[in-house]
Amino acid sequence: MNWWLNLSEFDIVGQVVGGNSAEILIREKADKELELGDLLISEEGNSRLLLQVFELTYGSQISQLSRELMAGITLERTGKDLSIFDSQMRNYVIASVKPVLHIMGGKVLLPKTLPKFFGSLRLVKKDDLFFFEKPDNPIYFGKIRSGSKVLDVDVYLDGFNAFSHHIVIPATTGRGKSNLVKVMLWDVLGANNFGILVLDPHDEYYGRHSKGLKGHPVAKSNLLYYSSNPPTGANTLVINLKSIRHEHFQGLVEFTDAQEDAIKRYHTEYGSDWIEFIVRGEKIEGVKPITLDVLRRKFDNILGIHIDDSGDLQCRNKIFSTTAGSTTTKDIADALEQNKVVIVDTSKLLDEAELLIGSIVIREIFNRYQRYKSEGTLKPKPVAAIVIEEAPRVLGKEVIESKGDNIYSIVAREGRKFQIGLIAITQLISLIPRQILANMNTKIVLGNEMAAERHAIIESASQDLSAENRSIASLDKGEAIITSNFTKFAVPIKIPLFEEFIAKSISNRSKSKTIFTG
Amino acid sequence: MHKFAHLADLHLGANREPELKEWEITAFLKAMNICIEESVDFILISGDLFHANIPDMDVVNKAVKKIKQILEHNIPIYVIYGSHDYSPNETSIIDILHSAGLITKIVQAIVENEELKLQFVTDPKTDVKITGLSGRRLGLEKDYFEILDKESLEREKGFKIFAFHSAVAELKPTYLARMDSIPASLLPKGFSYYAGGHIHEKLEGKLPDFKMINYPGPLFSGYPRDIEQFSKGKRRGFFIVHFNDEVEKVEFKEIRIVDPIYFEYDVSDKSSTQAKKELLNRLQELSVKDKLVVLKIKGELSGGTTAEINSNELRNLLYEKGALYISINKHSLSSKEIETMQIIGDDIQTIENNLFRENIGNIKISASKLKNNSGVKIANELLKTLRQEQKLNEKKKDYEERILKESISILDIEGTS
Repeated sequence: MNWWLNLSEFDIVGQVVGGNSAEILIREKADKELELGDLLISEEGNSRLLLQVFELTYGSQISQLSRELMAGITLERTGKDLSIFDSQMRNYVIASVKPVLHIMGGKVLLPKTLPKFFGSLRLVKKDDLFFFEKPDNPIYFGKIRSGSKVLDVDVYLDGFNAFSHHIVIPATTGRGKSNLVKVMLWDVLGANNFGILVLDPHDEYYGRHSKGLKGHPVAKSNLLYYSSNPPTGANTLVINLKSIRHEHFQGLVEFTDAQEDAIKRYHTEYGSDWIEFIVRGEKIEGVKPITLDVLRRKFDNILGIHIDDSGDLQCRNKIFSTTAGSTTTKDIADALEQNKVVIVDTSKLLDEAELLIGSIVIREIFNRYQRYKSEGTLKPKPVAAIVIEEAPRVLGKEVIESKGDNIYSIVAREGRKFQIGLIAITQLISLIPRQILANMNTKIVLGNEMAAERHAIIESASQDLSAENRSIASLDKGEAIITSNFTKFAVPIKIPLFEEFIAKSISNRSKSKTIFTG
Repeated sequence: MHKFAHLADLHLGANREPELKEWEITAFLKAMNICIEESVDFILISGDLFHANIPDMDVVNKAVKKIKQILEHNIPIYVIYGSHDYSPNETSIIDILHSAGLITKIVQAIVENEELKLQFVTDPKTDVKITGLSGRRLGLEKDYFEILDKESLEREKGFKIFAFHSAVAELKPTYLARMDSIPASLLPKGFSYYAGGHIHEKLEGKLPDFKMINYPGPLFSGYPRDIEQFSKGKRRGFFIVHFNDEVEKVEFKEIRIVDPIYFEYDVSDKSSTQAKKELLNRLQELSVKDKLVVLKIKGELSGGTTAEINSNELRNLLYEKGALYISINKHSLSSKEIETMQIIGDDIQTIENNLFRENIGNIKISASKLKNNSGVKIANELLKTLRQEQKLNEKKKDYEERILKESISILDIEGTS
């Protein structure tokens, strides 16, 4: 038969023996070892069906009771030499596979047929995946993975689509989340096509103490790093109190009606100096002293600002200032508009201050992009994306219900219209409401042991991952599945190790000799 | 207690209009007189003493006379180049004055193993150690900061001053957000005083590792934006820094040569005829005698053209009322009737910069340094050079050679002249 003749005996890994369109059963060839996630090909002429293994079970022609008895003889008596006659024929592995793509000539379609009954299957090869092309605005994620085998096929997503439609990275600790983000950002830095803001609570991306983005050949021109303790060449993270507006606290800090009213009064009275006058305890009409005291305490807690013994305004974390940092927000927004990557080291800040800084910067870029849209000048602007760790702090159901929408949830819902996206990283995707997850069109799924989290991932995936529960649990460090509206199927990938990945990009550049005049 | 004067951005020779020219040199003379009266130990100028590396000789003559007088009072003047009077081959007026012993250039550096090592100049009277980095065109001094051996500077004991002519990113005022700048982390730490130049505004900055980064701003500047800021109340002057082992007091000496007045008029929803009539009436009521007047006309006319609000007519009226100088800003004025290509900006330099920025993407070119921001910078600098006029007594051949040489240097290409 034709389908049989197309494959050499060596290539065959199994044969279709039953099942239905959701679960096709394959008998595994004895000397082959199929893995969860393996990609298989069933070929007929110029039509190929791409299938993926999602479950492996034992099959046997011998009844369960007989097998148990034989095991007993081997274990308990002297049956050590006992062997089953023609055992490869009688005992085997049944792989449950699902069809993921139908490749018809040069076209790629969703599968609507079954592979030939009793048809043979082989492992996928590089040439089968010709349709993985480099898009116009590529972001690199890694190489295609079949089980644990890595194929030499690069996986890119179009950054314009992926970033503006948000990316969520659900991952438990130790599964390679930082490595993935570093690889992605390294690639973005070189591409110089997108503006990325990274709020980095662990100070792990710049590479202050290890390899990081600072080592990129274009880091000098395309990477900005803000820290309260900047290394040479980096910017001091300092924000002028005048840059802070009431709306920056929206959904992040709870104010009572009386406090809200007081803030409005101070703003009307003192304009952009409103926080300073509250902290200084300047009394104004219509605001009760107790309300003023509570506001002073709140700003002390969140911003770390207080009045010292000599009456000067001081900031404990040195981030907020009355004299410096007037252009920090603008500088960051400008850099994002110029396709740069901006890392803000928030490792020395409390949660609320970190989120507030993000809120100030994101508002600036959001307002700008809204204005560009209304003026009809948005299209040539780069997509701006914001990397936010522990995303449920701002996108969590409980947070939004209790504090109302914040700029992060607004971006999650409306950012797409304005070319602004989120790259949300979380261990607990189940805390993010479904409506928000539905807006996040790309999910890069790393290994996850928690059943509830896997369930939430599967429920919100762009492709049907209902059969992938076990596969997700078994994803090793650096292995991932990309499920996205912008991929043809849920793509298993192997993310390169950052240190190895960057070794290729860093060559020994010759430095030009400096001649000093001045 | 010792004291020194810290000045910057004097831009002598920047102005062409007689009134501005006069005020510019008067401000300088006045500041120098204050230094003599105050018996400062020395004067430190953080760049752009002159507006160009080869400025108008009439201004140089007046300045040199005053500098000589200062020296007679045993007050040395220490300077660095600014972005305007910088010369890549050390042939600026600053170098000439330095060679003549009238001023002291404090930047003394060598490059060793791709590391820039700065030397200190010690003021003999006070033992103050001064060092610093000059400004360069296109903000290129950043390259020097990046290879600066900070450790050796930080190790030096005593009262130390670091002079520089760059905007520090963390301290830029909002309206200068797009100015080229360096992060504070490029400055060496532990100096008693950081004497800044380049930002045209009085600024006393404080950052976690830097107690005092000060910019005095110009004494008087004729740039339209500076005049506008001045008329809106920004104070002009310089610092006198009192010190012993540490800075004890910083005093700002205001220099006010003329009283300014700022008047803003919004034409929105008015026709050009209505707006002109109303504006003339309003200006009639304005007391402008012996004042520098800044008139800003903004908004969108509902009819007529912007040219119908005739600047000459407005100017004549104000001169008749006794104004000394009038600056009219119509950059934010537009009309519904006539759609013009609008490039937004407060001054000519910003407008040109925005124009280059808008259009650079349309030019196909392979050299990466001519693309994007770097291309805009080079275009700006080239325009500035090509705009220079032949100087008095300069031969045409020398003029052409000078322009060609500077252009080649800007483009960083090998050329024959």
